[in-house]
Amino acid sequence: MNIIRASALALAVGAMSASLAIAQDAKAYGKPLSLKTATPISAILKNPKSFEGKRVQVEGLIVEVCEERGCWIKIASDKPFESIRFKVEDGVITFPMEARGKLVLAEGIVAVKSMTREEAVEQARYMAEERGTLKSFDPATIKGPVTDIQIMGDGARVK
Amino acid sequence: MTWRRWSIVLHRDIGYLAVGLTLAYAISGLAVNHRADWNPNYRISKEFVNIAPITAATTPEVVAAVVSRLGLEGTPKNTFQPDPQTLQLFYKAKVVHVDLPTGKVMVERTVPRRVLYEMNQLHLNGPKKAWTYVADLYAIALILLAVTGLFVLKGRLGITGRGGWLTAAGVLIPAVAWFLYLR
Repeated sequence: MNIIRASALALAVGAMSASLAIAQDAKAYGKPLSLKTATPISAILKNPKSFEGKRVQVEGLIVEVCEERGCWIKIASDKPFESIRFKVEDGVITFPMEARGKLVLAEGIVAVKSMTREEAVEQARYMAEERGTLKSFDPATIKGPVTDIQIMGDGARVK
Repeated sequence: MTWRRWSIVLHRDIGYLAVGLTLAYAISGLAVNHRADWNPNYRISKEFVNIAPITAATTPEVVAAVVSRLGLEGTPKNTFQPDPQTLQLFYKAKVVHVDLPTGKVMVERTVPRRVLYEMNQLHLNGPKKAWTYVADLYAIALILLAVTGLFVLKGRLGITGRGGWLTAAGVLIPAVAWFLYLR
């Protein structure tokens, strides 16, 4: 029975350690950042092909978070009216909704995808579903083919 | 002590140890299983109001005009314009979306669901680190519970009788699901 008591104690201590770890590292997500300098988001959006497949670090304001799974954020560019999607693997990193309006330093690989109008509509429909705005989604707002630029992320620090 | 006695003791005591985590994981499981129909982590409310159209020239002037017309307390911690017509104001627990030419405003409030949010985070291993190993231990505990549970009773109610039939029926559930949906 002593073994069971010791196991119960170990389990409780483990759970408490995990809780403390959550509290201490609440602002770090995924892998540690490895790059020294950040690339302006505007530079990536201006010339995406030159960044395709390359690892970048970006910095900016989090302006949107995936409501359903926390599996992506939108980061505002350094130039007006621009933002880029930072997508992470489902379940590996989960961004909380409270991250909106906070600054983030994030790293990942730039992905560029040319989509037909039909593919763009399908992706927009999926995004609307994740945002919970599927009922008001209007496919007519997508006029033609779209070049989708996003960062496939694996690490971020929310300030 | 016989192996059956060991099964009973382990089943009983691991069962006691696992009650808390089982309830947390099961309640969270129900919640996230239906995430297509609701948000299991947050209560999100959207309130719509109208203010006079904003025609100020610079972003600080626009922000000041919106804050004043909506009677918002304090300045937003950050702002963003996704396009020239739209302004977003970020507060601690809400985001204010303003359509500047029309003055249509949506105030979106996001509040984590108490307890359920934490349960979901633990269930989906949000914390990572040490929690990964706690969850591993719990999974091993469930395996032990399942195996020792087979041998708690003997006789016609045990694994060689009624218990055996019920165990077979239980094994069939995932097997049928695999056959119908995943094959």
